[in-house]
Amino acid sequence: MKIIVVIPAFNEAKSIQKVIRDVKTVVPDVIVIDDGSSDGTADLARSEGALVYQHILNRGLGGALGTGLVAALRQKADCIVTFDADGQHLPQDIMRMVQLIAEGKADVVIGSRLKEFQKMPFRRRLYNDVANIITLMLFGMRTTDSQSGLRAFSRESAKKIRLRTNKMEVSSEFMKEIYTHRLRLVEIPIKPIYTQYSMSKGQNFFVGIKTLIRLIVLRFMK
Amino acid sequence: MVIQILISLFILFVLSRIVLRWRDGSISFGESIFWLLLWIAVGLLVLLPQTSAVLAKVLGVGRGADAVVYISIIILFYAMFRVVVKLEFIEHEITQIVRNLTIQNAEREQRDQRMHADPPNSGNH
Repeated sequence: MKIIVVIPAFNEAKSIQKVIRDVKTVVPDVIVIDDGSSDGTADLARSEGALVYQHILNRGLGGALGTGLVAALRQKADCIVTFDADGQHLPQDIMRMVQLIAEGKADVVIGSRLKEFQKMPFRRRLYNDVANIITLMLFGMRTTDSQSGLRAFSRESAKKIRLRTNKMEVSSEFMKEIYTHRLRLVEIPIKPIYTQYSMSKGQNFFVGIKTLIRLIVLRFMK
Repeated sequence: MVIQILISLFILFVLSRIVLRWRDGSISFGESIFWLLLWIAVGLLVLLPQTSAVLAKVLGVGRGADAVVYISIIILFYAMFRVVVKLEFIEHEITQIVRNLTIQNAEREQRDQRMHADPPNSGNH
């Protein structure tokens, strides 16, 4: 079974090399989608032996993940794992997720930071709860962590998922796609690493409001 | 009143633009009719303000001017919603273009690298 890890990255020069190196200890095939970075992220990723796909314009997280899924499918992946470039995920969690896909127990696996008690900082937790409630109201999916960046897809489910959004709202859009295509979703607990760097990369309040507006528009688009 | 003259002149300007845009093909026939009717209606309200009283009566609003403001706000909000949806759609299309370009470029690069590492004609002759 060919596993490909997709890492969307926008100006992640500080962390990208270590993240790729760590992932490669577990999975050899790594695709980096450089979303129009200006800090040399792409070259750093190439130097670590990742397959690099470069957006000529910054399209946002959703745009990069969409490209990642297409690229991985074209590289004949049987299982696609999305992984954050800021170093907040542990590569060891990947194989537990892939195993569920390989055994046919799930079409999509999401690494949830809240499945078990975790020391998520309070503000993040609050945003996360709000995001989960909005995801439930708009798309009918109950999740413990709709915003997690660690996900695994079987080839068949990745083929069905069509992403329309470009930015942060993509996390909720995955839930919408999982719901409409009746994919079997399994959440497993993961341990996030909150460094000062990864904390600075999260959503703030105003970005959150914009995300909400886009999600409402998405809800009423076909 | 001066304001009536000013707005009337502006409406004439807009009407001429609509006809020009229709003639150069920027907007369709249906669209140009829609905009013409809308602006002629605005002109009617400006030149004959008492017509808005009829509107107010039909809608059950106190004054004609109020009815015009309410309707304008509703139309503006709807137009804004249309623009937001349209923008999202255009953003999505731009992403599609960038995505296709990205995949094409990267795969060409990968092919070139493979050729470079393993030239097809490197066998013994």
